[in-house]
Amino acid sequence: MNRYGLLAFLLISTFLTISAQKSKIEFEEYDLPNGLHVILHQDSSTPIVAVSVLYHVGSKNERSDRTGFAHFFEHLMFEGSKNIPRGDYFQLVQGNGGNLNANTSFDRTFYYEILPSNQLGLALWLESERMLHLQIDSVGVETQRKVIKEEKKQRLDNQPYGSILEQTFKRAYSVHPYQWTPIGSDQYIDQATIDEFMDFYKTYYVPNNATLSISGDIKIEEAKYLIETYFSEIPKGSRKMNIPNVVEPPLTKAIQDTVYDNIQLPAVIQSYRIAPQGTADFYALEMLTTYLSQGKSSILKKALVDDKQSAVFTGAFPLPMEDEGQFLMFSIANMGTSVQDLQHQMDSIISYVQSNTMDENSFQKLQNQVVSNFVEQTSTQAGIAEALANYHVFFDEANLINTEIDKYLSVTPQQISDVAKKYLNLNGRVVLHYLPKSAQKN
Amino acid sequence: MKNIKFLLFSAFVFISMFAQVDRTYPPKPGIAPKINIGEAESFTLENGLKVFVVENHKIPKVTFSFDFDYQFATEGEKTGLSEITGELIGTGTESKSKSEIDESVDFIGANINSTSRGISGSVLSKFTEYYFSILSDVILNAKFEQSELEKLQKQTVSGLKSEEAEPNAIASKVTNSLIFGKKSPYGEIKTEQTVKSITLDDVKTFYKNNFVPNVTYLAIVGDIDKNQAEKLVNKYLAKWQKGEVTKSEFEFARQPFVRKVAVVDRPNAVQSVIHVATPLKFKQDSKDLFAAKVANSIFGGGFTSRLNLNLREKHGFTYGVRSSLMQDELMGSLDISCEVRNSVTDSSLSEILSEMKKMRNELVSSKELDAIKKYMVGSFALSLEQPETIAKFAINIAKYNLPTDFYETYLEKIEKVTAEDVQAVSKKYLDPEKIHLIVVGSNDQVGENLKKLSPNGKINYYDTYGNEVDISAKNLPTDITAEQVVDKYYEAIGGKEKISQVKDEQVIMKGNVQGYDLEITISRKFPNKFYFLLDIGIMQQIQKYDGKNAMVSGMQGEKILEGEELETMKIESEMNSLLRAKELGIELKLVGIEDVNGKKAYKIDVVKPKNNITTEYYDISTGLKLQEISTRNTEQGQFTTTIVYGEYKDFNGYKFPGTISQSVAGQSFDLTVESYIVNSGLEDGIFVVETQQESSF
Repeated sequence: MNRYGLLAFLLISTFLTISAQKSKIEFEEYDLPNGLHVILHQDSSTPIVAVSVLYHVGSKNERSDRTGFAHFFEHLMFEGSKNIPRGDYFQLVQGNGGNLNANTSFDRTFYYEILPSNQLGLALWLESERMLHLQIDSVGVETQRKVIKEEKKQRLDNQPYGSILEQTFKRAYSVHPYQWTPIGSDQYIDQATIDEFMDFYKTYYVPNNATLSISGDIKIEEAKYLIETYFSEIPKGSRKMNIPNVVEPPLTKAIQDTVYDNIQLPAVIQSYRIAPQGTADFYALEMLTTYLSQGKSSILKKALVDDKQSAVFTGAFPLPMEDEGQFLMFSIANMGTSVQDLQHQMDSIISYVQSNTMDENSFQKLQNQVVSNFVEQTSTQAGIAEALANYHVFFDEANLINTEIDKYLSVTPQQISDVAKKYLNLNGRVVLHYLPKSAQKN
Repeated sequence: MKNIKFLLFSAFVFISMFAQVDRTYPPKPGIAPKINIGEAESFTLENGLKVFVVENHKIPKVTFSFDFDYQFATEGEKTGLSEITGELIGTGTESKSKSEIDESVDFIGANINSTSRGISGSVLSKFTEYYFSILSDVILNAKFEQSELEKLQKQTVSGLKSEEAEPNAIASKVTNSLIFGKKSPYGEIKTEQTVKSITLDDVKTFYKNNFVPNVTYLAIVGDIDKNQAEKLVNKYLAKWQKGEVTKSEFEFARQPFVRKVAVVDRPNAVQSVIHVATPLKFKQDSKDLFAAKVANSIFGGGFTSRLNLNLREKHGFTYGVRSSLMQDELMGSLDISCEVRNSVTDSSLSEILSEMKKMRNELVSSKELDAIKKYMVGSFALSLEQPETIAKFAINIAKYNLPTDFYETYLEKIEKVTAEDVQAVSKKYLDPEKIHLIVVGSNDQVGENLKKLSPNGKINYYDTYGNEVDISAKNLPTDITAEQVVDKYYEAIGGKEKISQVKDEQVIMKGNVQGYDLEITISRKFPNKFYFLLDIGIMQQIQKYDGKNAMVSGMQGEKILEGEELETMKIESEMNSLLRAKELGIELKLVGIEDVNGKKAYKIDVVKPKNNITTEYYDISTGLKLQEISTRNTEQGQFTTTIVYGEYKDFNGYKFPGTISQSVAGQSFDLTVESYIVNSGLEDGIFVVETQQESSF
């Protein structure tokens, strides 16, 4: 044991108190009669406020002939409302010293504003107008159609390795709508109509499908009053939402393919079907990821980047999803390493974690790393607002913001190698070799 | 408390009136909160290390950032040395191996990131001292191993290879090399060769000379107080030895005199990455710093900037565009960038240039100015949520020698900027005529349309490392030789046989330049007699070569040519010289295929003795010559002349262009061919040059 190791060992005894040391996030939550769920966290350390609305709709709720629709719609939500002319969303927020943005995933769409705390009313007015009075016209739709296609090029088509998610998911699923990614395809982006958007709006952008989460320098009673003022008149939605209820059959044999891309260094992607977020197995899988690839001493990085020098980058990423998601392993080859060698090395690491239970030292390291990651999410008001909303929507327990760490810390080394065996199944995976276009034989 | 009671009360009273809230206007904001910049405490060690501490207990973590502010210096054939050295710190100390360090840092869930000019990392506050002992060991006792150097070199070279396919990486490298210059530390580009030439001794020396406490700032932020920090720093860093600070001189590229268009060709690109950029004489202590920040925010700062509203919200050209204004203690730069689809590459650039003009020509409205100020004030306030911002402010004041109240008065200074100030700085810094346009994209799809944005119609091509390249070489045809192209040309203008029998020719052209009518007569007689007359009425210019002697005459009087000039004249006077290329020592090189005014043309380099090169373009389909470009060194400097041949006409069985336009040094004029006469029996007399020796007989 080296000197640092010894010292670290002496420190371990104090470690388990750390999670308790993080100051608890106090919050209040309630429902309006129309079903809007509200979460409020008060913190006056900086005179700002983060206001967010999470709609429980993502690309998985789309029709297969309208992929990219939820994301397209997200862009349109900045177009204006009955009382807010086109373009004014941005002007109103930025012109009052704030920031705003939104994002769309497989499972949700998330909007937020961060403003000086005296502008809470403005943010609530804007978000309530969005929920009550969306107004879109052909000018806005046509402009955003173009903008989104540029976004897609920028993120996917013109970006080395940018298509990984799309290429993996379309092979990993055959019946579940996770088979397409939120950005969708140009073809369907072109076909979407204003009527369809209004229909989507009335179905999903309703208070009973939304969570309003606010964090920052607010006065709770004043916030409640303003929320009541702006949101209570929004009618509850009653249309049937398209919530996928299909069971994706397991892959019975490995799918292996080659993708030719505008790249110079080949890459290997392996993807494994995993349990949904929030399950005990998922926490164990997240621990496995950290064990595999967080930090320079992690087994994947140490073996591939440091010792064998076969990769310039390697990492493992379990994607937290509402239904069964994917565990992605991604390595970019160093010069002189073939994809076959790289894949072989990745496979031997997998077989190592499946057949060995980690020692006490590695396990302590893992727990320290997980605690260190966990405290980061509450470093900003925006982070707190988003975490509270996520915990409520996907786990029905906003208080996980304080207690989720216990779920990680209760995972045992044995469980970690168990999930490695259970999910990292070489015969049920998708393997993609990314090769430079120059390697393509005609 | 009073406030809350009132609100409770009002909530109660208005509860039945919710439906009547006026939604047509945004609600009135409450009283603006006071923006309070937190305090950074600071102290300096005897060895010169300056330490800044910002206490913040929101999360149980402490962040340490070392900022090594050593002098920038060019690295030349060792470009990448500072980066390699920085990254090697952390790969070994006098007592620990790399894997021991990695293991110890990871064990406590911490991290260490090192770059050429900084080392930073954060740790759970419980492990602060242990972590800091590792961090200081890594910095003070760095030990460099050959094996780690080689590993990093291999990774870096792989990284470079990978970047060759990343349009944004390419664009920023090439932009920096164009605006700062390849010989400045801001614009140097590392290559496989420069990285591989770095030795372990280079690294050791660089480390010893630069990573010294007297040029270093340390920010300690988070769950720690000043006393703890001071104890910690004294315990671990007091023994750090002061070093000599070296100064280095280098030159920055200047703002271009005219607009320049640069293209890096990526044949398969579906989008172009565009940058519009220039270096500026604009420093951290410039008087117009705040006006420039306000102007840039209006122009290309946030989502509601003019550029974004135009390119994204009006035209749908891009997902987003922004303009960055950079300044440090030495200089500044402007860099506008976005990614756009191929077909609107030129339109996007045109829109950016016209928005620049608008900023210069029109005053911004008070509404727009007011909104942007609020946005800037808000952004400033929001940034204070991160305690790192407060440490950064304190370090900037020390580093750039700013007034101590620089940030406290920041908002006041923003508030004071007027619309006139904005226009004045726009005129100074946003010049659409003196700027680089850089496009990384498919030349086939976007190149032709970019020419109109270049004042001389020329595009400079670069590789991914910022080296100028000849793009046409890529399209080198394999099915035809240079000689065959020339033969085809002579066939097209009358037949090779017929042309080789031409004994003399005379062409008369008319034109108008700066309001004066002019007439040009050019006569040639086989093999190399030459006569040129330019008549503008108020003056005449004559050039002659009689096979032996040459002269020029004009307003400055007469001059007999000698030496180099005579040799050049002799070569240029050869009639139909390409028919006798071999005999005259002229080399013909087919260098590619290019578009000339929408026509595909073979590009031939005609290398004449004395290495005078003329590049000639021959229409692929008709064989006719479309254009020629020559660069000549004269006493007045280097001149590039471009001659464009217009529609060919028939003159008694010989084809000759009906119009010729010539441009040199930014001036161009068009000529109409009045007559072209072949074999009229020109007398020798008009060609004779009377040298002074002869006339003195």
